Amino acid sequence: MSDEYRSSLEAGAALAAAHGPDDPFAAAIRATRMAMIVTDARQADHPIIFANDAFCALTGYDRDEIIGRNCRFLQGARTDPQVVSALRTAVAQGQNVAVDILNYRKDGAPFWNALYLSPVRNAAGEITYFFGSQLDITSRKHAELAFLERRDDLQIAVETATADLQHALEQKTALLHEVDHRVKNNLQLISSLLLLQARRTPDPVVRAALRGMLERVNAVATVHRRLFQSEDVERFDISAFIRDLVSDAIGTSGRNDISANLDLERVDVSADKAAPLALLFSELLGNAIRHAFPNGRAGVIKVSVRRENGCFRIEIADDGVGVATEEPRPGFGQTIVRLLCEQLRAECETADAFPGLRTVIRLPVNGKP
Amino acid sequence: MSDHTPLSVLIVEDEVLLAAELNYLVEEVGCRGVGHAMSSDEAIALAASLRPDLALVDVHLRDGPTGVDVARRIARDCGGVALFMTANVKRLPDDMAGACGVIGKPYSEHGVKTALTYLKACLRDGVAPGPPPAGFQLAPAWAERWGLGALQKSV
Repeated sequence: MSDEYRSSLEAGAALAAAHGPDDPFAAAIRATRMAMIVTDARQADHPIIFANDAFCALTGYDRDEIIGRNCRFLQGARTDPQVVSALRTAVAQGQNVAVDILNYRKDGAPFWNALYLSPVRNAAGEITYFFGSQLDITSRKHAELAFLERRDDLQIAVETATADLQHALEQKTALLHEVDHRVKNNLQLISSLLLLQARRTPDPVVRAALRGMLERVNAVATVHRRLFQSEDVERFDISAFIRDLVSDAIGTSGRNDISANLDLERVDVSADKAAPLALLFSELLGNAIRHAFPNGRAGVIKVSVRRENGCFRIEIADDGVGVATEEPRPGFGQTIVRLLCEQLRAECETADAFPGLRTVIRLPVNGKP
Repeated sequence: MSDHTPLSVLIVEDEVLLAAELNYLVEEVGCRGVGHAMSSDEAIALAASLRPDLALVDVHLRDGPTGVDVARRIARDCGGVALFMTANVKRLPDDMAGACGVIGKPYSEHGVKTALTYLKACLRDGVAPGPPPAGFQLAPAWAERWGLGALQKSV
């Protein structure tokens, strides 16, 4: 029998003698289902001098294997040294301490121990004992760890899904740019073809027809150039388009004696209306440039755009020769105007403006007449 | 360059029909088309041997999106001025690779002629005759050089 064991046994016996079987506090500590120990703070290395049955059951050791030992014998390979160090500091400073520590049973099985240590002082205030209680919280710890793992898994799943979506978005954006690029290049190709053929065509009637088609392709091309210039590819600013087209059409005609007078309010239509509206406007503008000012007659083409009574109102007025004296207008242009008005559910009226002609297009906002 | 010598122009474009039509437009504004390249190697070799005053450069060439590099090399090594003509204006680098500006595709006959006439005046006088015409966007450095530093942003 070692000295530590003997002196601890004696100290334990003295404690037990002071608290006989009729002491309800002692009875409670002996019988409670919570594991409890008492260590002797006046002996070197604080040996355990009392352990209740619950402590023996929790750790798997017999009482004679427990008495006389410091409670660090429960620690093992995966016990956190930082927790051990916190315990040691609290004991050295005589403070209460509560920690979750990984301990090992006699059979080597680890368990999570919610350990509470507290000093016991005598009347003089000296620490005579430490009292310890142990609670097996292995299942709670496992649940916590499982929860943390699930949370990590979930976070990884969310990150993966986000990265996938980001990648898909980048692909779609690249595709949109590629399609935009091809549409513009193809429009350029079509207009270059028409120009090349117009250059080589000696027949003025055929050349005029090719030029007419070129104008229409240019109107659609101007829409595409404008549509992707803005960030919003779903709305289309008619006024910006008209400003581009008027300057281009008059410039292309080579008629320095025709000037434009623009009064444009910013008006947006949905992108699907942009091309038909551009073609309609281009047709009317082309008519004014070609027919209103014959024989070198100078003049002004006024264009205004504004909202009016739930409609977009687009007016093209010239101060040219007017309908009576104008050359007869070609039929195809008129057909295009009629069909596009039908498609856009727009009204188009042309009347004498004395001098010249005025055409007013009324386009329902949001497709409603 | 003198007032009487027409501006020599190299066309760098992999679509031959576009290049053919563009050559007509170049001649119609009083410039001289001196060559046509379809790939970056061809463009750099022609620019080095012909020393054009102006190179009209598409971004996508036969060997890929190499037009930006072509413009940079022409501006740096050949003493010429590059001008982009591309459908992908937004993809150009902020400094436009040393090029003086960009004409967005699809351009119109009138748009190109106006831009080239404007550019001729800028190169001849060293100062812009006014703000750039519609469809022609100047590079910030060149706008500054031609006295349009403040106007540049309104394009």
